[in-house]
Amino acid sequence: MASIQKDLDWTSVLLWIGLSIIGLIAIYSATQGPVSEFLPTFIQNNFWKQLLFVGISLGLLFGIQFINPTIFKNFSYVAYAVSLLLMVYTLFFGQEINGAKSWLRFGGFGLQSSEFMKITTILAAANFLTSRRNLATEQIRYALVSFLIIFVPTLLVIAQNDFGTAIIFLALIPVILFWSGLPYGVALLMVSPAIILYLSVFSWVYGLIAMGIITAGVLFLQRSKWLTIVSVIMGSATVVVVQLALTKILQPHQVARVIAFTNPSYDPTGAGWNVIQAKTAIGSGGWTGKGFLEGTQTQLRFLPEQWTDFIFCVVGEEFGFLGASILIMVFMLFLLRLLQLSINHKNPFAQLVTLSVAAVYFMHFFINVGSATALLPVIGIPLPFISYGGSAFIANTLMLAICLNMDLYKREFSIYS
Amino acid sequence: MNDIRNQHRTQLSLRVMQVLFATLCLVVLGRVFYLQVIEYEKYSMQGERNSIRQEIIPSARGLVYDRKGELLVSNEPIFTLTVNPATYDTSNNKLLAKLLDVEVSQIREQVKTARRYSWYRSSPLLSDIDFTQFAVIQQNLWQLPGIGHQLESKRTYTDKINASHIFGYLREADTKDFENNTSLFLGDKIGKSGLELIYEERLRGESGLEFKRVNAYGQALGSFVVENEGTNPIAGANIITTIDADLQAFAEDLMIDKTGAIIVMNPNTGAILTMVSSPNYQVDRLAGRLDRTYWAHINSDSTRPLFNRAVSSRQPPGSTFKPLMGLIGLEEGLITPTTNIPNTGGYQRGRLYRDIAPKGDYNLEKAITFSSNTYFYKLMDDIASSGRLNIWSERVKDFGLGIDLEIDLPSATTGIVPDSAFLDRWFGVRKWGLGDLINLGIGQGVMSVSPLQIATMTSAIANGGYRITPYLVEQLETPYSTNFPNKRNPSKIEWVQKKHLDLVKKGMRGVVQEGSGRFYVKNDSIAIAGKTGTAQNPHGYSHGWFTSFAPFENPEIVVTVFLENAGFASISAAPIARLLHEYYLRDTYNSYVYNYVKNWEPREDNSNQTAE
Repeated sequence: MASIQKDLDWTSVLLWIGLSIIGLIAIYSATQGPVSEFLPTFIQNNFWKQLLFVGISLGLLFGIQFINPTIFKNFSYVAYAVSLLLMVYTLFFGQEINGAKSWLRFGGFGLQSSEFMKITTILAAANFLTSRRNLATEQIRYALVSFLIIFVPTLLVIAQNDFGTAIIFLALIPVILFWSGLPYGVALLMVSPAIILYLSVFSWVYGLIAMGIITAGVLFLQRSKWLTIVSVIMGSATVVVVQLALTKILQPHQVARVIAFTNPSYDPTGAGWNVIQAKTAIGSGGWTGKGFLEGTQTQLRFLPEQWTDFIFCVVGEEFGFLGASILIMVFMLFLLRLLQLSINHKNPFAQLVTLSVAAVYFMHFFINVGSATALLPVIGIPLPFISYGGSAFIANTLMLAICLNMDLYKREFSIYS
Repeated sequence: MNDIRNQHRTQLSLRVMQVLFATLCLVVLGRVFYLQVIEYEKYSMQGERNSIRQEIIPSARGLVYDRKGELLVSNEPIFTLTVNPATYDTSNNKLLAKLLDVEVSQIREQVKTARRYSWYRSSPLLSDIDFTQFAVIQQNLWQLPGIGHQLESKRTYTDKINASHIFGYLREADTKDFENNTSLFLGDKIGKSGLELIYEERLRGESGLEFKRVNAYGQALGSFVVENEGTNPIAGANIITTIDADLQAFAEDLMIDKTGAIIVMNPNTGAILTMVSSPNYQVDRLAGRLDRTYWAHINSDSTRPLFNRAVSSRQPPGSTFKPLMGLIGLEEGLITPTTNIPNTGGYQRGRLYRDIAPKGDYNLEKAITFSSNTYFYKLMDDIASSGRLNIWSERVKDFGLGIDLEIDLPSATTGIVPDSAFLDRWFGVRKWGLGDLINLGIGQGVMSVSPLQIATMTSAIANGGYRITPYLVEQLETPYSTNFPNKRNPSKIEWVQKKHLDLVKKGMRGVVQEGSGRFYVKNDSIAIAGKTGTAQNPHGYSHGWFTSFAPFENPEIVVTVFLENAGFASISAAPIARLLHEYYLRDTYNSYVYNYVKNWEPREDNSNQTAE
């Protein structure tokens, strides 16, 4: 039997603790600062609630290590079905917060069902794919089913009006397909529309350049005439659609939001407000920051949602490049460590689950920090382990706990599998 | 074996993932480095600007005093409700309208305007809330998030006098004002008429600045106050006017229900002791929150209460012009003090110019006293026939008619005193002739003047032939300086000779003793000299003039009264002037004449035929 003391991956645990502490510091600053009396009471309580969530999660993290890892695989479909029902229930009876109807109320606490949906979707999709004898996406049917396993919850999340989370779900698709043997060239082709779309918003020239480079990549990797042609057509179509959308289809206010992303000063009090304030907060941090509780942007609440979606700005402003780079480095090490656990594992299910969990963390991180630094348009999504939010924190810790559990028992694993 | 190949392949995929994640994390790190280290300067400045709000501390507007130091215009604190659109809930519009007793639509409009101005900053919602309403709002503040208040000030006026045309009113600065004056801020009120307009710069002072840290909602945060960065406001200069509040009050009382103007002036300096234009308006109702109904009312009123008749009304001077005609005639040598011109009922020149003064011989003194038209028709005929029209015009202008008197009030008229160039423009070159000029001799025809100009002309006669500039502000005072903006030395009108003046003045004294003034102006106590006049009015009763000075030997004041549709000036304008002389020089007045004036009503006359 494995011993928790000896075999648990303490590196991950320490990095997790590091992230949680950074998060607590940032939340404290965002909600308990010198002028927090101007904040509503329920927001002032966020720090103490988060402290409680960290405590609960710590218990869960270790508690789960005593569970037999077969459970995750065996109950994955059941859990998936239950969370789907919970999602539907939320859709009808949930509570709307910040425009997204994704919360269930239990007494003083809200439960965000989509956070738990992430775990069960990963488990179910991984279970489905790794239970096939011949694991290959060349089999269209398998690909289709695994696609649906991810796509159904995505639709529900969209129905809940939570586009940020929907993107996370969608991002799982290429990751899983990539892992399960999709040729690199095809994988590149699949993510190419996203890249070209992103660049086309700035200029159609960038879009076309990206299309050219990607097509060259596809040709080099696959040496397939057809795929190359598809790449050219898809890429060009994306550029054209973006241009049409910006000039013809989208309403002026929607265009304003898109333009505000490329040029925030276009609409400084409307769509550009968040971007300008976030960049200002981070940029004014300098090398070492303004000091704990000294950030003017943070303390004076120029940042919207600074305890959740824009929490990176708090760290950037008050602790400067030093603090921000520590956060990024810790997060990067954490992700690389998880991927290493995946590499070290011989069991495909465990491998795929761990990879997916890392991918979900990464997508959260990249979109959140990307939004705050204006690399990406503002998409409201929390930063795992840093942002305030009980459901997210607990669900994210649960995912880590499952990965650690499977890693802990990896030597016994093959017996169960 | 397929398994192993797959194993290999997934291992590779995961390594690729590791590289990809690491690369993208480093991209993010690079972006953060770019923002925080390379663009630090830009964002640190922006951060400061963001949170440091420059707050304007309005300066106290200068006060207005009368000549004896009596406070006429001061400032009063008022509460202005503000709304912060970011936190305000529009479903409270109804409640707010109820508490404030205004239309819901007004609240809605104001909130919209505030939103357009700034989503995150407070803007004025309703100014000049009365105190009980303010208290009610404060009690209900808990259910009105986003509503705040600020302390402002409004003009408050003495009850003793109205003087609305002198003080003028303030209005919120408009777009044009902002273009002309960059030191104005949104919501600033500036003078739009009267002294408030002319002395705007000095009255306003300079706003102070205070730098405060505020949060994104514009809430000022005491604990973050920035020290010693601001500047203190500099209060506006106080104005000490030339107005005699007691006399002004008395004059206003006499003008109730009459239409016209009064000027009382010191003939030696040009200081205006009293200026009344009737009807007037309630200047206090234009202070603070604008009373829209009242504003619309006074703007559309056919009696034009906003119009300052004392300086802007343009009327023919009528017979008040005759003394000046005499002076010019004497100087030009066209008449001598003993020149006799007989009145046979009119002056025949192409047609008959009528004269209803008693028939007989008139010398200049008698012609002024009994207001013989014939004498001045003949004189004007001589002036014109001898090619002296332009000299005549120059000399008339030396007495303040037909020129800008540069009084410190807006929209004073220059009036019209024609010369040949003017007549060429007016009628067309060579389209005018003697027939258009003879009427000028009795102050009719193509000629118009304001009551202020008649007062100024009378002053120049009374003071021995000195040009004066009428003015209302004696002194501008700040804690650091005192200045006299209108201190000027009167200059002698070179061509005027004392002996000529004395003769004309004697004629004017005669008006009061024997002429048209004998009914209501003649009195034992004060030696008043004056001249009545009729301004023909094609639309109704003639307008009446009476201009006068006293005491005769050493004049201290000039009183000019102009009454619209008054008919006989001798029984309408003249008694008012007499009361003002008495009130100013003797501190008392004849109660019989007072009651007469108060009960006076205009009556039909045939003034065209009346010698006044």
